[in-house]
Amino acid sequence: MTATEVVLAAPAEAPARRRLRDLLGVAGAVGVTIVGGMVLVAAIGPPLVGNDGLSPVAEPWAEPRAGLWLGGDDVGKDLFAQLVIGTRASLAVGIAVGLITTVVAAVVGAAAAVGPRWLEATLMRLSDVMLTLPELPLLIVAAAFLGRGIDIRIAILASLAWAGAARVVRAGVLSAWSSPHLEVAKAMGAPARHLLIRHASYVVAPLLIPIFVRGAMRAVIADASLSFLGLGDPTTPSWGTILYWASASGAFLTDAWSRWPLPAGLAITVTVVALALIGVAVEDRINPAMRRVR
Amino acid sequence: MTATDSPGSARDLVTGRSWRATGGYLAGRCVEYGVVLALALVINFVLPRALPGGPLQTLGGGGESVGLLSPEDQKRVLAEYGLDRSTSEQFLTYLSNLARLDLGNSFADGQPVVDVISRALPWTLLLVGSSILLGFGIGVLLGAFGALRRQRGKGNILLGTALLFDSMPAFWLGMLLIAFFGVFLGVLPTFGVGDGFDDPAALPRHLLLPVLTLTLTGLGQFFLYTRYSMLSVLSSDHIEHGRARGIPRRRLTIRHALRPALLPVHTLLMIEIGFLVGGAVVVETVFAYPGLGRVTFEAIRAKDFPLMQGTFLVLTVTVVAMNAVADATYALIDPRVRTGTAP
Repeated sequence: MTATEVVLAAPAEAPARRRLRDLLGVAGAVGVTIVGGMVLVAAIGPPLVGNDGLSPVAEPWAEPRAGLWLGGDDVGKDLFAQLVIGTRASLAVGIAVGLITTVVAAVVGAAAAVGPRWLEATLMRLSDVMLTLPELPLLIVAAAFLGRGIDIRIAILASLAWAGAARVVRAGVLSAWSSPHLEVAKAMGAPARHLLIRHASYVVAPLLIPIFVRGAMRAVIADASLSFLGLGDPTTPSWGTILYWASASGAFLTDAWSRWPLPAGLAITVTVVALALIGVAVEDRINPAMRRVR
Repeated sequence: MTATDSPGSARDLVTGRSWRATGGYLAGRCVEYGVVLALALVINFVLPRALPGGPLQTLGGGGESVGLLSPEDQKRVLAEYGLDRSTSEQFLTYLSNLARLDLGNSFADGQPVVDVISRALPWTLLLVGSSILLGFGIGVLLGAFGALRRQRGKGNILLGTALLFDSMPAFWLGMLLIAFFGVFLGVLPTFGVGDGFDDPAALPRHLLLPVLTLTLTGLGQFFLYTRYSMLSVLSSDHIEHGRARGIPRRRLTIRHALRPALLPVHTLLMIEIGFLVGGAVVVETVFAYPGLGRVTFEAIRAKDFPLMQGTFLVLTVTVVAMNAVADATYALIDPRVRTGTAP
């Protein structure tokens, strides 16, 4: 969670929780806490549940009992274990795609803002094209042909997500570029590289947090959608594959809906809401116009 | 009539520039759409040939079973499908087939892909079209309301609800709605469209849940953008000035704040179209709705590669066409496009 830790770098003496709430408001603090909790579950949860969620450990459609908290699926695989282990895949995809998107968007956006005109034109037209391609259908053909490993899916998701973010970065750099103190620095002959790294980066850096958050959100949902359509990684449980099997077995039409599709979907929703809360809090924080309207 | 013909008339000056500016803008977008379609074509051509198993598996008509063929038979199949020729020749064949609307035959039942898709397309257009209209309308209204009620209970509840629906996977919301309305209450059908267009009276009941699902998951973005954009506009100087001049509150809100606030939302509309079409793919799967999404799902299950490629291509064309419609309406809300002063 590098991006949120950046947010947390505040005065040292205040208690951590107070500091968080002062910085991001209640909503942002809730978001950071939930995402932190999810990361903790992903880190230490899987060894604690005792099985890999891939082989049957109980009778089919087993009812919940001690040690089998959410019961079994239609072949008796441990649903709770699948849920806990699935945290890993979903968070890994979200964080990896978020990070790659942020880095690519920062480089492309900055290059488009300060680079030569032909470069700007090329990059911006390219991003328009990427934004027009329908995301999920493209993901489907790519995953169907290129494979279902987590690395391939991260690469595909990230290669589709950078376009909108790059435009945001470009706008940020451009507005920084015309600020008075950069005009002065330019007049004194500072090279573009120096301006970008020493000056414009301070204006653009806060924009990167919402970009990371939005990239991660979309990736978590898109990844779940792919798995739901049967293009998930068959070697490890994920929230999307839990829902795929829940749909394939018709579990949401039976009493099992509350212990099978419900928790997996809730996990996705809660994770994405938490990320969204962080994003909204940071955005409200960095847009001065937002503070003027009260 | 161009600007130079009648230098005396300011009105003609504006009109003349408007046509050129709008034309230039639309021409630029058309080039972009062309590139998108070309890209989709190239992706469709390259992907099956880039597969580790080679194009035999994906294009040679038999799915994975072709691995069992003897080397001679494999050669024969390759020749039959023209896969033994050079890449450029294959690409030309591919394009000329496409021009004749020949997308190959489905592996699963041997039907022409074009037939399968043309049966499914109207259903997807119906679902996506009504969801976009509803999501855009409701999202914008609620977003403007949420911006005006910022820092108050109602506004915060709206924001929280919008975030919640925006964060849900569409297919999961669909499952929950089916479980509640279809199974628990038993008042709405849980799958399909009944007799389809043959029984129009029963259609709304079948459409209600899929459209509701897609609208709810789509309107969050419209809400958030409208709210954000509206807040920025509300804090700008011209609103302050308008208030000081005593412009009635309603007029100020709608004409002076909402209209400029809609510009970034309109840009979002184009992105959201692609997103909603993707959402339709998973929602259709949940509801066993007979559109392109359902076809895609069945194609994935049967490893029916020609059908998968066909739906991808058609979905891309659909998104581009919807973008073009959204583009054409841009001039309606942004007078700067008409007067040629757009940035």
